[in-house]
Amino acid sequence: MRTAFKTWSVCLLLLAAVMLVIGPVAVNAETPKRGGDLVAGYGQFPRHFNHAIQSGAATATPGTQIFASLVEINQKWQPVPYLAKSWEVSADKLTYTFHLVKNATFHDGTPVTSEDVAFSFEIVKKNHSFGPSMLGPVDRVETPDKYTVVFKLSKPHPALFLVLSPPLLPILPKHIYNEEENGPIRKNPANIKPVGSGPFKLVEFKPGDYFVLERYDKFFRPGRPYLDRMIGRKIKDPSANFIALKKGDFHMALFNSGLRLKQVEALKKMKHLVVTSRGYEGIAAIYFLEFNLRKDKFKDVRVRQAIAHAIDKNFITQKLHYGYSKPATGPIHSSFPWYTDNVTLYDYNLKKANQLLDDAGYPRKANGIRFSATIDWYPGEPDSMDTIAQYLKPQLKKVGIDVQLRPPADFLSWYKRIAGWQHDMTMSNIYSWGDPMIGVHRLYLCNNQKHVVWTNTSGYCNPELDAVMAKAAVETDGAKRKALYVEMQQLLTADVPLIWTHEAPYQSIYNKDLRNVITSIWGSMTPFDKVYWKDGHAPK
Amino acid sequence: MFAANKAALLGLVLGVLIALLTIFGPLIYPTDPFEMVGAPMSPPGEDLLLGTDYLGRDILAGIVHGARTTVLVGFSATSFTVVIGIIIGVLAGFYGGWVENLLMRVTEFFQVLPGLLLAMVLVALFSPSLPTIIFAIGVVSWPPVARLTRAEFLKIKQREFVLAERAIGAGNWSIMWKIILPNSLPPLIVAATLGVGVAILFEAALSFLGLGDPNTYSWGYMIGASRDFIWETWWAVTFPGVAIFLTVLSISLIGDGLNDAFNPKLRLL
Repeated sequence: MRTAFKTWSVCLLLLAAVMLVIGPVAVNAETPKRGGDLVAGYGQFPRHFNHAIQSGAATATPGTQIFASLVEINQKWQPVPYLAKSWEVSADKLTYTFHLVKNATFHDGTPVTSEDVAFSFEIVKKNHSFGPSMLGPVDRVETPDKYTVVFKLSKPHPALFLVLSPPLLPILPKHIYNEEENGPIRKNPANIKPVGSGPFKLVEFKPGDYFVLERYDKFFRPGRPYLDRMIGRKIKDPSANFIALKKGDFHMALFNSGLRLKQVEALKKMKHLVVTSRGYEGIAAIYFLEFNLRKDKFKDVRVRQAIAHAIDKNFITQKLHYGYSKPATGPIHSSFPWYTDNVTLYDYNLKKANQLLDDAGYPRKANGIRFSATIDWYPGEPDSMDTIAQYLKPQLKKVGIDVQLRPPADFLSWYKRIAGWQHDMTMSNIYSWGDPMIGVHRLYLCNNQKHVVWTNTSGYCNPELDAVMAKAAVETDGAKRKALYVEMQQLLTADVPLIWTHEAPYQSIYNKDLRNVITSIWGSMTPFDKVYWKDGHAPK
Repeated sequence: MFAANKAALLGLVLGVLIALLTIFGPLIYPTDPFEMVGAPMSPPGEDLLLGTDYLGRDILAGIVHGARTTVLVGFSATSFTVVIGIIIGVLAGFYGGWVENLLMRVTEFFQVLPGLLLAMVLVALFSPSLPTIIFAIGVVSWPPVARLTRAEFLKIKQREFVLAERAIGAGNWSIMWKIILPNSLPPLIVAATLGVGVAILFEAALSFLGLGDPNTYSWGYMIGASRDFIWETWWAVTFPGVAIFLTVLSISLIGDGLNDAFNPKLRLL
C-alpha cells in the first residue's frame, strides 16, 4: 500500500515537473496563422500618413505600418534589426555604420537603398518638429554603397537608436518624395497615397472617415505580415466606440481613444478583451499643472510649493481615475530608465500649504481668499484635464486661492491662450517620446520659450538646469547619464515650475485572441507584422 | 379669474416654494456646492440626502445654491428680452411706414436664425459668464415680444380713446407710453411670464453643452457636468432635472392663469 502511494506521488511529481517545463513552451510554440482583419477606432484620425513631417501618435500609428525604419526598439529599450540587419558603432561613439537588408522593396517595387535612408534623414531633420533636437548632433549621413549607411555625428548622441526607430524616422522612397521633382514635401500627394516599405500598404483612404491597409506581399521579412488587413475608423461618437469594442466590431483601442475611464473599467470586465497599461512606456505621457511664471503671483517658489502640497495626487489617481493612473513625482516618467523617486516630494498637507502662502506674503483677506487665478485646460481627455481642473477649484479654495475656471471652447482657443502666454495656470501634458532629450527638455530649456504649445510656455529659466540637460544630451555612458537626469529631477522638483499631477491612464485594449500586440516600448506605433489572430481570423 | 384655475393655483404655490428656496435656501443649507464634501458617486441617502456627483460634490447643495443662478438668469434675461421687444414693437407699431418696415425686417432676420445656435455662438464669442449668457438669451428671444407689441399697437392706436387723447393735444410720446402701452400690457405680461420658463431652459441647454458659466453653480451646469456619468450616478442628473422641470412647470401654469385672468371674454362667464 505504502509503496503504491510512493510510486504514485513520484509519478505525479514527475508529471508536474514535465508540465512546468513543457507548459510555457507549448504556449510559445503556437504557430502563427495567416489571415484576418484588425479593425481599430481612432480618436484622433490622421489627416495624412507621412509621419516624417508630422509629429504625434495619430499619424505615426498607421505610418509605422506603412513605412519601415532602420531599427525597432523592443520592450527592454534595446534596438533590434529591421531595415538594418546589423550595425557597428565606433569607439568614440561618433560613427554609426548600418548594413541594410538587401531584399527590402517599397510598395511600388523599387528596392530600398542607402540613398533613401540619407534622404529620409534630411526630410525629418528639416520638417519634423523634433527634427533639430533629435537629429541635431548628426552632422551628415554618408552612403558608401547601396546597402551601407554611415551616420557621422558631431557630438555623441545617446538616443540615436530611439530616433532611428519607426515612430520617429520612417524611411521614405527618395524618388517619390524628393522636392526637386515632386514639389514641396508638405504638398506632396504621396502624403495621402503613401509609398513605404513597411508590412502594410494603404489601399483606401476616406479623410475623416476610414482607411484600409492591406498586407504587402513582398514585405522583406519572410512570411510576414500575418494579418490580411488593418482597418482604421474615425471615432465620431465615444459611446459608439465603447459599444463597438463591447460587441467586438472594433478589436483594439489606442490611447483610450476617447473612452472615459469608467468605460475602460467596464471593458475590463468583458471576457473577450485584454486591458493592460503596457505599450505606453516610450510615449510616457505626463500630466501637469503649468504656471505662467511671468505672472507675479507665481514667481515665489513658496507659492508653487504650497499649491503642490494642496493637491492630493492619490485622490486624483485612486478616486478620479480608479487606479488607472499613477501619481507623477517629477518631470521624468516612471517607465523611463532614468527615473528616480529620490526627489523633493510634496505630500498632501494643507497646513503646510497655508503656512507657505502666509510666509510668501499672501495673507487671507476678510473673505478668506488670498488671491485669484484662472485655470485653462487642454480640451480632450476629460478625465485627465477637465476633471482635474474641476477638482482644483474647491481644493485650492481650501488654502485660500480662488480658482476661476476657463473652459476651452475648442483646441484652437486653448492653443491661442497658452501659446500667447496669456494664462495663469493650465492643465496640460506631454509625451516624452522615448528619451528626455526628445520629449522632456523642451518644457524647461531657457531658449525654448516659444509661442507654440508644448514648449516652455511657463517661461521657466534655470541656467544650472540647462547645463545639466546639455551634458545629459551628449553623455553616452548609461550610469553617468542617469546621474545627470537624477540631478535634473532633483533641481526641477525643488523649484516646481510645474506640478506633475499624474502619469497617463492609457490602456492598451484589444481582443484576447490577438497575439503579439505589444512587442515594443512604442506599443501600437510599431510594425504589426508579427501580430496574428489565434484562429487566423477575427472571432465571429 | 386666476383663482378659478386650479392648475394656476398649484403653479403659484410651487412658484412661492421655489422663491423661498431661492431666497432662504443658501442661508439654511450653506454647504458650498463646489466643495467635495463626500466620497465621489455616493448614492442618495448614504452620506448625504441627495448623494454626491463624480467629484464628491453635494447634490442637495447644488440644487439649493443653483436655484439662485437659474432664477436670476430666468428673470434678468426675460427683462432684457421684454425691454428690447417693447421698444422695437412700440416704435414699429406706432410710427408705421419705413420705421416699421426697417424694424420688422430686422426682427424677421433674428427670427429666422435658430435661437440656440445663435446663443451658443454669442456665448462662445464672449467667453461663458453669467452676463454674456443673459445677454445671449435676451438677444435671441426678443422678436416674438416685438411682434406682439406691434400687433397690439396697430390694434389700439385706431381706437376712439386714443383719437380723443390726440384731439385734446397729447404728444406722440405721451400717447405711446402713457396711453397705448398700458392698454396693451396684459398679453405682454403673459408672454413675459412664459419667457422666464423659456430662458431657464435656454440656460440649462447652454450649460448642458458646456457653455454655461463654469464658476457659477446652476442646475444646467450640474446636468452637463454629470451627463457622462448618467449610468453610474443617475441622481446627479435627475434631481437638477426635476428641479428645472418643476420651476418651468410652475411658471407655465402661472402664465396660463394670468392669461385666463386677463381675458375679458372668460371674465364674463
